[in-house]
Amino acid sequence: MDSANISPETMQQLQNMSVQEKQELNQFIQNENQKAQIQGVIHSLTDTCFRKCVTSKISAGALDRNEQSCMQNCVDRFMDANNTIIQNLERMRSL
Amino acid sequence: MADAKQQITDQIRQQQAIGNARALVEKLNEHCFERCIPKPGPSLSSAESTCFSACMEKYMAAWGAVSRQYLVHVQKGSAAGGGAGLGA
Repeated sequence: MDSANISPETMQQLQNMSVQEKQELNQFIQNENQKAQIQGVIHSLTDTCFRKCVTSKISAGALDRNEQSCMQNCVDRFMDANNTIIQNLERMRSL
Repeated sequence: MADAKQQITDQIRQQQAIGNARALVEKLNEHCFERCIPKPGPSLSSAESTCFSACMEKYMAAWGAVSRQYLVHVQKGSAAGGGAGLGA
């Protein structure tokens, strides 16, 4: 992320913030971070699945039925793959 | 005091939205250029521009489909990974 441009006054105000406000701000940032991470995964999954599922000539704007279900399966299988890898790593670690 | 917090949260939200939009635009360009303009000619033909608008719509529909489907997994709590999980 870009370095935020925080004015000196804001900086001062930040230092004067109550503990509760600091906690709230911290929580907000954590939530936004998680959201950004999820959005990132969605972008990369869309990229991967679009390559796999939309292979014929693009003539219409909507996804046809096959493409639609392919996209959904693609996400589901990606999650399976992810879980499989984690399980396998767990198994390898315990060897 | 309250408005320092407000200022920061607003800025974060805005940067987040910009980043997300920028990522989408980048992907749209990448995919649709590849698909619709296999051989760049001296100008954008009307077939190419028709293809481009269909491609953009389709990619955004695909993005929506992935978002919905992925969120199902996130809500089930099985999503810790999805690419972000391991290294963390």
